Amino acid sequence: MLRLKLFYRLMVRPLFREPVRLALTVLAVAFGVAVVLAIDLAGNAAAGSFHSSMETLAGDNDLEVVASGGVPESVVATLATYPSPLQISPRIEDFAVLVNSQQTLPLIGVDLIAEASRYAALQSSTESATRSPEPGADSLNHLTDPQSVWVSSSLNMHAGDQLALLINDRVYDCSIRGVYPDSSGGESAILMDIAGAQRILDRFGRVDRILIKLPPGADIDAAQRELKKVLPPGVEIRPQGTGTEENRKMLAAFRWNLRLLSYIALVVGAFLIYNTISVSVVRRRTEIGIVRAVGASRTDVLCAFLGEAACLGIAGAFLGLPLGRIMASGAVKLMALTVESLYVSSRPGSIALTPLSVFWALLIGVGVSVISALSPAREAMNVSPADAMAQGRREYIAGTHMRRDLLIASLLEVLGVIAAQAPAIGGKPLLGYLATILIIAASAYAMPALVSFLSWATSGLLNRLVGIEALLAARSLTAALRRTSVLVAALATAVAMMVSVGIMVGSFRQTVVSWMNTQLPADLYLRPAGDPAADRHPTISLDLTERIARLPGVAAVDRLRAYEISYDGMPATMASIDLRVLHSYRSSDFFSARPTEEVLGQLRGQNNVIVSEPFTYKHNVKAGDSLALSLGETQANFKIIDVYYDYASERGYILMDRDTMLRYLPDPAPSNLAVFVTQGASVQDVRNSIQAIAAGHRILIFSDRDLRTEAIRIFDRTFAITYALEAVAVLVAVMGIAGALVALVIDRRRELGLMRFLGASSSQIHKLILVEAGLLGFLANLAGLVLGYFLSLILVFVINKQSFGWTIRFHWPVAVILGALSFVYVATILSGLYPARVAARLNPLGVIHEE
Amino acid sequence: MAILSLQNVSKHFDTDGQTVHALRGVSLAVESGEFVALVGRSGCGKSTLLHLAGAMDFPSEGVVLIDGVASSSLDDAKQTRLRREKVGFIFQSFQLLHTLTVQENVELPLLLAGKPHARGEALRRLQWVELDGLGTRYPHQLSGGQMQRVAIARALVHSPKIVLADEPTGNLDTSTGHVILSLLQRLTREQQTATIMATHSTEATTVCDTLVRLRDGRIEEVARR
Repeated sequence: MLRLKLFYRLMVRPLFREPVRLALTVLAVAFGVAVVLAIDLAGNAAAGSFHSSMETLAGDNDLEVVASGGVPESVVATLATYPSPLQISPRIEDFAVLVNSQQTLPLIGVDLIAEASRYAALQSSTESATRSPEPGADSLNHLTDPQSVWVSSSLNMHAGDQLALLINDRVYDCSIRGVYPDSSGGESAILMDIAGAQRILDRFGRVDRILIKLPPGADIDAAQRELKKVLPPGVEIRPQGTGTEENRKMLAAFRWNLRLLSYIALVVGAFLIYNTISVSVVRRRTEIGIVRAVGASRTDVLCAFLGEAACLGIAGAFLGLPLGRIMASGAVKLMALTVESLYVSSRPGSIALTPLSVFWALLIGVGVSVISALSPAREAMNVSPADAMAQGRREYIAGTHMRRDLLIASLLEVLGVIAAQAPAIGGKPLLGYLATILIIAASAYAMPALVSFLSWATSGLLNRLVGIEALLAARSLTAALRRTSVLVAALATAVAMMVSVGIMVGSFRQTVVSWMNTQLPADLYLRPAGDPAADRHPTISLDLTERIARLPGVAAVDRLRAYEISYDGMPATMASIDLRVLHSYRSSDFFSARPTEEVLGQLRGQNNVIVSEPFTYKHNVKAGDSLALSLGETQANFKIIDVYYDYASERGYILMDRDTMLRYLPDPAPSNLAVFVTQGASVQDVRNSIQAIAAGHRILIFSDRDLRTEAIRIFDRTFAITYALEAVAVLVAVMGIAGALVALVIDRRRELGLMRFLGASSSQIHKLILVEAGLLGFLANLAGLVLGYFLSLILVFVINKQSFGWTIRFHWPVAVILGALSFVYVATILSGLYPARVAARLNPLGVIHEE
Repeated sequence: MAILSLQNVSKHFDTDGQTVHALRGVSLAVESGEFVALVGRSGCGKSTLLHLAGAMDFPSEGVVLIDGVASSSLDDAKQTRLRREKVGFIFQSFQLLHTLTVQENVELPLLLAGKPHARGEALRRLQWVELDGLGTRYPHQLSGGQMQRVAIARALVHSPKIVLADEPTGNLDTSTGHVILSLLQRLTREQQTATIMATHSTEATTVCDTLVRLRDGRIEEVARR
């Protein structure tokens, strides 16, 4: 108790003497904690508690039967007549868009008659929830009507209401026959009878999934093995929820990278805690000497400073908790959009601030603070009482060992380069991350030498250009080299991450733009209306396709058909292209660099495929390898004849000839159309003609430019969260600079007061502090730019490649980087405004006689 | 006309709700080329008088005329200009900037005033205080006496009409203190400055032209030699 009292008196109370600086330090920790927490919470909500949309109303079953392109209905009969009593639930699964709200919901077709008891139960609970005017029996009378649907209560609709649904490229006016309870929206879907769903989706003779419930106590593995024997070769039987697990696995790299990015603000915060405790140690050197002289042990001193850091950490963590919760709300929306665009249709769960999240936030807040404070606290511990009392609090200079630090920096740099060459571990670029950390650490060690050199090299020039204030500022920063170096390192780290991610995203963007220029040679592109998602492939009516192909001015129509498949335990997209329209792929974008005609020619009529680059990375395959694909009820082997660069999806594509696909999956409806206009014909006229004949169909028509714009819009949206994370890191660093400048002003008040005696005006003092802020910003920007370049090489060629498998061509997004650096520079100067005001208002009479 | 004139000047401070009377009705006139020593116990108002004389503070009552200009009539910018042009300060603890070299310290007032050719002037002043050749050293490489000579060179670099020295020998041994006092005497004679020195040193009183004894904020005695 006594010790606590002493701790409060000696360590905590003095913190409140500089409330602005205390607030900035705590805020820095709070933002660091908040960002990590927000990404964690949002990640859990958007993907962590990931629940495949198709699991809606699936219930608790043991096994599921699936096949690429659908399970033949004959399998239902096979399972129904299986000797053991199985409860089987065949389902049609797709998506429908609510025309009024543009909301996309799962469209589930189930055998309502066979499952009457279950739905009767649902119906009874619905009655009380919705006060439906229709009795349940009457509701079931409408089962045979293909436009009868049942909806969840979260849609706030009632039995008897009409609902316009966009399914594939057509709008259906459906009647709501009943409402099932779902207040949270977690099970929101459009439910219809399986026969009606088959009819509307034109999916006769096939179902998408068959759910199997085994008798109680049955051995699931054994049953899976036995049932496999009675199923056709292309049909897969697996535990229910495997799709969800596969999706979760697919999202792991995305979440992992985002989570690591969220730690940047915390790393920047760590530098600032280090600086705060270092300043505290230097200022209290005499006090340390006195308490050591009157009986405090070295451990007492160590614990006191670690305790100070822990207090800052606890305060920051508690402030970070609500802040993180608020940030998570914004982050989850962005993340959910990205998950939907790049990976899979999903529905974000609710954001839950669990006791574990609170514990985690406290742990990282306090942990990072205490670890950051270790070095200065150890320094305090080793202060000799006699020296401390004799020297007072003077020199910060003493703490730097430039030559030794440069040596350590070189060593870390070499280790970083070695780590960057290493392959992924368990599919994760762990050594790539290690390389990043090593190179950031190397730059932190090299910072004193850099700051010292640059201050020395530029002070003369600055003196001439800016005036005496610049010379004084440069000298002052060099005099407090350790403090300056830590500040520059903190801001440089934030800037470097901004630059490196900026280069990575810019390079990726430029690569995608160049790729689209070669991949979008058609004049018009068509797809069914509704929000696009990586795993949704609604189709366009065949008759409409044929009519478009016959329009005057249309030279050719390329039909692309895509299916969602599971390959080797991971979701993938299998698609076919129309090889009769060869000119749709004008230039070679293959690993082999062979001409397009040659590669695509090999696909024609044969069991050959080409695969996208991410697919080869995910499944560790290459040209010449063989793929065993389940197609309908058959399983066939396909040879990979080449690999192509692709940036449309991270899921991985398998591409084959349309005729080959139709041999196995005879549904000819295309998912997308690429229309080539005859030379000399007006694209706009053809577009108008298509719109005219597509009346009654909901088709979106894009020019190649529209498509590029749309793709870039989605691309930019995907990386919006990345920019937000970087902005927080920069904000934390700038706050740190402001706090440190306040400390610097307080520590140098004698010097500032003296300058007033020597004829400096208050505006010159103001300018001096702003020049210091500007110098810090300049040094950090310069160091950040160089560091950022090296980090970008690791991001582009190591982390991205090992996480996602994309080949990105390096590109400097000059305008973006210059804009970002200017922003940081201005923000740094603005951060000096308050300290400059404090400095200009110092009473010179008071401060000059203090000592 | 006196270069510095204090007319019935009083100065009070409010500290923790209590009024402290640092100076009470002080009148004093100092001519160019006059070396004045202010003596008295700690807290008698010596430093306050120096601050008022250097336009670092305003009187609560009365008028302080510096080269004929009332300091109270000036705003902050004009006060700053007045100090830059007419006043030089010397402190007990030298108050050199440790991040600057000796010559940079000396030229600082000129640079702050935006004057050209600061380096040449600084070197001339260093020569005058017999420190030529030490211009590129840093303060921590000098002895106490040398540091105070640098401070004197800095106080003189802009050719002020008034030099204010607050205990300039307080941190020095007797012989070094003697050298500094001789230097101040010489500068008063050669540069024709009005030098006002607050001191506890009895030796200091022997080199000055006028001895002003302060007690409880009042002038107790003015002895001209």
